[in-house]
Amino acid sequence: MNLDYNDEQNMLREQIQKFCESEYDFYKREEIVKSSNDFDENVWNLFAEQGWLSMPFSEQSGGLGFGPIELSILFEEFGKALVIEPYLSTVVLSGTLLDKSTFSEKNDLIEKICTGSIHISLAYAEVDNGYDYLNPSTTLDSKFVLNGTKTLVLNGSNAEKVIVTCTNDDTLNIVVLDANTPGVSINSFSTVDGQSCSEISFENVKLNKSNIIATGNDAANLLKETINLATLCICAEAVGCMESCYHKTLEYTKGREQFGQPISGFQVLQHRMVDMFIESELAKSLLIKAMLEVNNRSDEMYKHVSALKSYVGKSGKLSAKEAVQLHGGMGVSEEMMIGHYLKKMISIDALFGNADYHLKTFS
Amino acid sequence: MYNEALFYQSNLIYKEKNMDINFSKEDIAFRDEVRDWLSNDYPKHVKEKTDAGITISKEDLIDFHKALSKKGWMGYNWPVEYGGTGWSASKLYIFNKELGLAGCPPILPFGVGMVGPVIYTFGNDEQKERFLPDILNFNTWWCQGYSEPGSGSDLASLKTKAVLRNDLDEDYYVVNGSKTWTTLAQNADWIFCLVRTDNSGIKQEGISFLLIDMKSPGIEVKPIITIDGDHEVNSVFFTDVKVPAKNLIGEEGKGWTYAKFLLAHERFGIAGVGASMRQLNRLKEIISKLDNSDLQKKVNELEVALSAIEITELRLLSALENGGHPGAESSILKIKGTEMQQALSELFVEASGEYALMYPGPHGYENNDKPAGPDYAAEGLSGFLNLRKTSIYGGSNEIQKNILSKFVLGV
Repeated sequence: MNLDYNDEQNMLREQIQKFCESEYDFYKREEIVKSSNDFDENVWNLFAEQGWLSMPFSEQSGGLGFGPIELSILFEEFGKALVIEPYLSTVVLSGTLLDKSTFSEKNDLIEKICTGSIHISLAYAEVDNGYDYLNPSTTLDSKFVLNGTKTLVLNGSNAEKVIVTCTNDDTLNIVVLDANTPGVSINSFSTVDGQSCSEISFENVKLNKSNIIATGNDAANLLKETINLATLCICAEAVGCMESCYHKTLEYTKGREQFGQPISGFQVLQHRMVDMFIESELAKSLLIKAMLEVNNRSDEMYKHVSALKSYVGKSGKLSAKEAVQLHGGMGVSEEMMIGHYLKKMISIDALFGNADYHLKTFS
Repeated sequence: MYNEALFYQSNLIYKEKNMDINFSKEDIAFRDEVRDWLSNDYPKHVKEKTDAGITISKEDLIDFHKALSKKGWMGYNWPVEYGGTGWSASKLYIFNKELGLAGCPPILPFGVGMVGPVIYTFGNDEQKERFLPDILNFNTWWCQGYSEPGSGSDLASLKTKAVLRNDLDEDYYVVNGSKTWTTLAQNADWIFCLVRTDNSGIKQEGISFLLIDMKSPGIEVKPIITIDGDHEVNSVFFTDVKVPAKNLIGEEGKGWTYAKFLLAHERFGIAGVGASMRQLNRLKEIISKLDNSDLQKKVNELEVALSAIEITELRLLSALENGGHPGAESSILKIKGTEMQQALSELFVEASGEYALMYPGPHGYENNDKPAGPDYAAEGLSGFLNLRKTSIYGGSNEIQKNILSKFVLGV
């Protein structure tokens, strides 16, 4: 048994940390949030240069062949810096789905993802379908005509291609199409954590057989595994947020003086910060378990990701709320970073099934 | 400047020591050996009682400990040179977990877990020869004389006084004062005590570590009945008790150092993961039959939290085996482990519904017919009431948070 990261993984973490410190501070992030793109081309190119956009892809597809452990490290660090670049939608949701598929054009698309020259979004969610992603109401008929509406498509506004889940005669299909195909309309809006997402409607969109990535059981497994990996990633992001909430709160209370002393001297605050520390460590433990299960592709990988998701949904929000409270008025100021962790935790809990949902799935 | 992608690629072949959550083959073989012992040599009459949730007697506890001695496992946490097992941290963890999962009573910590390591670390050769074999063979039952009526979490403020005298060339201490919350003192042959031998300096100085024969004239043990109705703890009164000076461990005035060493030893396995898993599994079975989604949600939450505690303990273990030292982080395990034990016991009570009203006491319906209601109702209540102690003893959970504030937060 060994639960310590290896040297290479530690170096990767350090590299991401250094990057975020020098290239992605909170002011930079604010600039990106306020821009029309909701991401920064230059930052995205730097991601590509460092190989981060190739990380999870198999070496046959031109990737680095890294797995869930390295992705978790990346997302933990993204969580600490509140990175909003669309890594989850393009690389994890769309890229790893393509990589694991037998789709004929996947190598071309993955190469473009690796070089940062394309954005692709996965349209998996629908209104009124809850978290049941395997039975979409969007239909593909026998003549390959697509009809339906997808919601909460992450980074939909920037996507050149959209991967869509649909049913063809009760069989699940996953198709990919250009976002500018006639009959596709996109309505975009911002998310609580500064990203963007879209509602995408498909009205008699004419496709052909070559648009199909996977069907039937293959499609279902592909989708389940991809969403599971993406869930792991945002949980790692939550763990990073929790650690930052605790560190930043500790730092703030050490510097903030009231009644003639730093407020970190008050036992009532100390114990609350200890609780934040404990919660962050316990969440980290569940992350380690889940990422190793996913890495080993064990039978229990879904169960352990659900356990983690339910835990960070609850304790992550709790930590972020405590961080806001202990920062006093600063905690509710938009110009301070700390309140943005709370918004991030809200968005993480909302994605791919909230804490209550995963607690049920877990058993 | 950040263009290090190639560097990572070229490094792929050097991936050494990858993360692995599984135990080694050797550890798995050891786990099977423990399981074999549990199914063949763990005394059957004790197993029957613990399986039925009946409080076990003094004799049962002795039989259990003697069976461990016979197997050579009594010194589970001792080095080989003193007759211990010399187990690695992994084996220690596995041993604790398997015994807990099997529903064994906790190994009494006072002899083997507490005073034993103090004696072999700070005692002289004569003391080692005199006391250690009897601890390993469970020939002596030890109890702990730390807390006093006025000294709980602020342990160093203790007042029980020991004055050195000399009569007819015999050196001895005269001990006066009282100890409280002394677990199972009614069964004990010996007590190890923190006593005050000097009042002149700061309160941590002037404390000494003394071993006292419970049969000494002037010792009186009075029961304290806890809210579960059981007699587990006691007050121990000392009136002019004569204790040979050769029963002093180490140096006079260094007792606080030994006490802190002992508390560090007590911490391992305090999360009680195995025992909690056993309770969780029983609860899951009970609740699955009740068709109650609220209780189902609560038991799911506990299962997730218990998994988090278990992996946190494994992380500490992994750090230990990679040459690190467990820091104040073990306080996390004390806090969360005891909260878990309490939460599980409370869920038993909730699952009992209206039958939580009836409480026959800690020994169940031994003396009259069991009335209607689930079997687990009485046991659940007795556990719930008894386990309130866990967040109070061993350094209360608030003291643990103070420790974490100081050593982890640095405030």
